[in-house]
Amino acid sequence: MTIAVVKPGLQSTLQSRPRVGLRHQGVPASGAADPLSLALANKLLGNPWDAAAIEATLLGPVLRFDVDCAFALTGATASATLNGSAVAAHETLFANAGDQLVIGAIEVGARVYISVAGGLEADEILGSTSTYLQAGFGGLQGRALQSGDTLVPLGNEAAFLQTPDEFRLPVFTSWGLRACIAAETDLLDEASSAVLFDTNWRVGRRADRMGLRFDGPSLSVSSEGRMPSAGVVPGAIQCPEDGKPYVLSVDAGTVGGYPRIAQVARVDRHVLGQLRPGDHVRLLRREPDEALAELATKVEYWREWLPQIDEII
Amino acid sequence: MLTRCGDDLFTISVASPADAQALAAHLRRSGHWLEVIPGIDSVVVRFDALQTPAEEVRTALESTLEKGVEPLYFGNEIIEIPVFYGGDEGPDLDALCATTGLTAGEVIELHTSREYTVDMIGFTPGFAFVGGLDDRLRVPRRKEPRQRVESGSVGIADGRTGLYAMASPGGWSIIGRTPLQLFVPGADEPFVLRAGMRVRFRAVEADEL
Repeated sequence: MTIAVVKPGLQSTLQSRPRVGLRHQGVPASGAADPLSLALANKLLGNPWDAAAIEATLLGPVLRFDVDCAFALTGATASATLNGSAVAAHETLFANAGDQLVIGAIEVGARVYISVAGGLEADEILGSTSTYLQAGFGGLQGRALQSGDTLVPLGNEAAFLQTPDEFRLPVFTSWGLRACIAAETDLLDEASSAVLFDTNWRVGRRADRMGLRFDGPSLSVSSEGRMPSAGVVPGAIQCPEDGKPYVLSVDAGTVGGYPRIAQVARVDRHVLGQLRPGDHVRLLRREPDEALAELATKVEYWREWLPQIDEII
Repeated sequence: MLTRCGDDLFTISVASPADAQALAAHLRRSGHWLEVIPGIDSVVVRFDALQTPAEEVRTALESTLEKGVEPLYFGNEIIEIPVFYGGDEGPDLDALCATTGLTAGEVIELHTSREYTVDMIGFTPGFAFVGGLDDRLRVPRRKEPRQRVESGSVGIADGRTGLYAMASPGGWSIIGRTPLQLFVPGADEPFVLRAGMRVRFRAVEADEL
């Protein structure tokens, strides 16, 4: 009564909700890098929004169902076939025992979410079943999936659902991220602070669950570049010694010693999970209260399809 | 000083790591905040803007700062941390001796001869920033951070001792290793150390690793 991992893809992990309230002990959030897409996948199966699902990065896995099982695909766009026939994202799909699901290379966006009825069995540590690779806990033995692994679905049936068009979260190759000034933005010299919000940044090759480097002009800070370690959360944009902005994502360390020059607003933090190397990003400057008003608007919009949106975003 | 540093973040500047920890512990007890992250000279508070408006958060934090908070107190207990110094476990001990002009024996003597306070836990689960290092052992971080520092490694940098509770990249000068497991993920109490606790290092032989 399991699902076999035939090929794992580039980096596939089991993810659910973030770990919250433990950063003072050094425990990062983890959880789906794009939690909205995780919730959308689980919705199609009648699961709680945070049931553990596969988060596949850039190249999807090949899975063999050894049990009849409903599943769903959301997130980035990628070709997907079940026994050789194309299957669509954003609707409940039904596999029979023996069926093979092949998710190809991701075309636009960075992460596909594969959820199954009931969610997948995963190790719960510190309040979540999400995988945290650096410490090796959560998910499946704290690591990325490997060929030969077996996954255990906790359900099998689900009613057919389709995500309404207006809730199919789009993915792009050029993005705008709403961001506010942060604790050390004033350390940027005048030219750099103009450049930060006026550059079409390119997502660098170093783009993972820890964080993403932006390629473009080098920024300079007026201090010597390091400061006493201070708390950071996902979405923090640091200016490391090389002057290239580095945006922290869900697995980033909980404190940092580099100047925090901007903060991606909560309304757009889920987008970080879909940025891939080569994508373009503009930082859209917002006053903090303006960003919160936009968050409130977004939450109202999504509540109709995802009633738990307050917790998801 | 209280500053908004993001749409759902405030940062509070404080005078010392002890002040940061005391304020953070107080704020955490209220249960109102998603994260309360003490740093070396600051506390970052992340609030749930969908539950509490920012102005209400500001007022609540200001009121706490006005009233002041109790210092953290962990009693007289001193946690002893066994360390094997040098060798493959402490690959930077020789370089540290060269920089400071001390012998390995003198470094170990200085490092084990006093009590320290855990200033902060953070970066990775259980990583401890231990304050109070002798000035003669003061060195900056390494210019080239290592891609992997082993779990249990004991490093020094910027006047502190860093204890790697798990393997991670790192830029501290590694002088030894402790066999003590500082982070046990599945345990009821996964963290051996908390900020504010007092510790002492004791030199041990390789067979105790």
